[in-house]
Amino acid sequence: MHAPTIRSPQALAPVRRGFVRRNLPYFLIAPSVIMLLALIAYPLLFALKSSFYFWNLQVGPQPLAFVGFDNYVEALNAFDFRAALTNTLILSILGTAIEFSLGLAIALVLLKALAGMNVVRALLILPTTIAPIVVGFLFRYLYDPGGGLVTWVLQSLLLPVPAEGILGSPSTALAAILFVDIWQWTPFFAIVLYASLLAVPDEIIEAARLDRASAWTILMRIKLPLIRRTAIIIVMLRFMQIFNTFDTVLVLTRGGPGTSTRTLGYSLYEQGLVNFNVGLVSAQTWIAVLIVNIIVVLYVFFAFRNEEW
Amino acid sequence: MIFDIGNMSRRNMLKSASVATLLASSASSLLTPKRASAQGATTVRVLSVEDPFFFSMKAMIPEFERETGIKVELESLSYDALQTRLVSAFVAKTSDADVIAVDQMWLGQYLDNGWIISLNDYIAKDKDIDLADFIPEVLYSSNMWRGQIGTLPVAAYAQGVMYRKDIFASFGIAEPPTKASEDWTWTKYVETLKALEGKSFNGKALFPTVVCGSQPSPITHMFTQLSASHGASWFKSFPGAPWDFSPQLTGPAWAKSVEVYRQLYKLSPPEAINYVWFDAGTRFAKGDIGMFYWWTPYFYLVKNLGYMTGKKSDVMDKYATAALPKAKGVAQTVSLGGWSLGVPSSSDRQDNGYAFIKWATSKATQKKMAQWPDLNFQFSDFARKSLYEDADVKAIYPYLDVQYDMMKQGNGKITRPPVPGYTAVESVLGLTLNQLLTGSEDPKTALVRTNNLFESILKGNLMIPYQKESYTDTLDGAKDLIGKLGKA
Repeated sequence: MHAPTIRSPQALAPVRRGFVRRNLPYFLIAPSVIMLLALIAYPLLFALKSSFYFWNLQVGPQPLAFVGFDNYVEALNAFDFRAALTNTLILSILGTAIEFSLGLAIALVLLKALAGMNVVRALLILPTTIAPIVVGFLFRYLYDPGGGLVTWVLQSLLLPVPAEGILGSPSTALAAILFVDIWQWTPFFAIVLYASLLAVPDEIIEAARLDRASAWTILMRIKLPLIRRTAIIIVMLRFMQIFNTFDTVLVLTRGGPGTSTRTLGYSLYEQGLVNFNVGLVSAQTWIAVLIVNIIVVLYVFFAFRNEEW
Repeated sequence: MIFDIGNMSRRNMLKSASVATLLASSASSLLTPKRASAQGATTVRVLSVEDPFFFSMKAMIPEFERETGIKVELESLSYDALQTRLVSAFVAKTSDADVIAVDQMWLGQYLDNGWIISLNDYIAKDKDIDLADFIPEVLYSSNMWRGQIGTLPVAAYAQGVMYRKDIFASFGIAEPPTKASEDWTWTKYVETLKALEGKSFNGKALFPTVVCGSQPSPITHMFTQLSASHGASWFKSFPGAPWDFSPQLTGPAWAKSVEVYRQLYKLSPPEAINYVWFDAGTRFAKGDIGMFYWWTPYFYLVKNLGYMTGKKSDVMDKYATAALPKAKGVAQTVSLGGWSLGVPSSSDRQDNGYAFIKWATSKATQKKMAQWPDLNFQFSDFARKSLYEDADVKAIYPYLDVQYDMMKQGNGKITRPPVPGYTAVESVLGLTLNQLLTGSEDPKTALVRTNNLFESILKGNLMIPYQKESYTDTLDGAKDLIGKLGKA
């Protein structure tokens, strides 16, 4: 008969040490995961739950009734929300495309060893460092029909300026907001693309030149493919950022004239922080989240379908 | 230094954890002391909006601190930021203030939800408050809800007319009257403006008037003065009982008001489509506008070139004020608004809060605020009758008789009904009005569509049919309450 085996504390210690060492990466990453869940998953799930309730803080502090998909139906039927959705898509798609194209062009110019490029690079980053609300106020003055710089330049070039001002006409107001975004964020593309282009090996470019490849061919066949991954990521980031445009709209037009510059971001602000309709704004938030995620997932799928990332 | 967690014994781990917990709890108690001990019993935290009254009130605060020994922690926010912060705090059942600035439109929501306390008991026990000195129309419009006084007015606004004396004299145009009369109608107002159309003055092209076109609040505030003057009502039955919030925007008074407002826009600078609150005032202050109507704080704000600049405007000594026009055959209703002070139910220093409110709304403090010389004297938003008859104040603000007349014709509960869900319907109305200024749509069609949207929103917000108890909310009832609380 054997006495039961009792493992001494000294014998247990290596087992515990081994457990901690094996799982150390999980322990270290756990706070970040918990924080992410708290800051992203919880609010989204809370909004999802709220979107199925009638909950308006102007009527009562608590949710009053379960209403199923009524908030979603109301959001999608509202003409101003539909206008906001259309304007947001126009701004996001056009804004991203124009900013990318201009940013790439600027990045290619920056690669040239021209005099004063150091100063240009330093100045270029300035617009992106200004808060969008400040940019909004700045452009409110620049667009002023009574002598704003942009208005004056357009008039000097004999281009038509609406009597109500650039921000006062439904035909120009959205373009004016798009211009502000392009002014502020094109440098972001330029700087990031410039940094990526610097990493393209000179030998490849030299070899292509020896083979008498044109500048266009070098750009399309060598440079762009080599910076493709960076470009895909920053395009995706900017698309999502423009999708949430709010500050400049609030300062410049408050969504007007009519619904011509209303964006989803502005609609969410109005329903949530002015009308305090928690249920409706939660539904609108989820509609926006779904739309932007569908677009981004499709974009990522097609952009990266032939490669691992 | 490297911590090898893997080699730490359980005993050492427990020791370390205990010490860490002790240190953490001690540190947290040091860093986040209880609110009462941090603020002290002799502190009052005031959260205000940054409207013009704020600056003169702020200048007087050292006097309050000297008089009462209570230290004031004053903070100001913009309109939207203030409401967002207040509502967020109330929903979370916390508050970082003992006194808050409350817009009249929020009063019903705040009292119904129990976010602020009723001041009835405080007022009834207070012999010095002189409740009877407040203009009843102001208390009724801005401070009373379901028989409770929830706030007291620190700045009361009506609407009135400002016009250029020199321009009118130059073109031989009769000056508008300072007293309301049957002859001073909106038709006459538009005719007067048309006499200025296409004219220049001192080499500068003139615009007869200026309107606020930006949605949703600015255009609604200006337009609803016009619509109230024409007898338009928002709902089937409110504020009188039984409350029925079926919208009434399809009536002729609304269509007529839209027609007049569109005429006014045509006589304004075209960029007024985007004008927010002070943009209209700033434009008048620049000197190329003949006449316009707006909230009474602009009676003094237009003395400055730019909002809060203190720099004298071109019109400083060239403008005068006049009575608001009325619609023929309709009793005048002037829009009343402004800011009031209330005590959050979550405050643990409600007595201090009431003491501050009593001081800030008192005749003595309001007079000192009016006499504060900075920014070219800028405070005449009195809710107290006696100040409209005070010779010292009248010497600074010569238009007070005109303003007082407007106040006495006021009814904020008709012009912009402070009902739960108000901002949602205001958003829709503001958008429609903004569209109507530049669009070609027939006003009647737009109003029918807006009426349907109102109905849909109000049904969605459980306001049609109204689920709660009605209250007969009349000016006479308000006067009775003032008398009762004043005598108690």
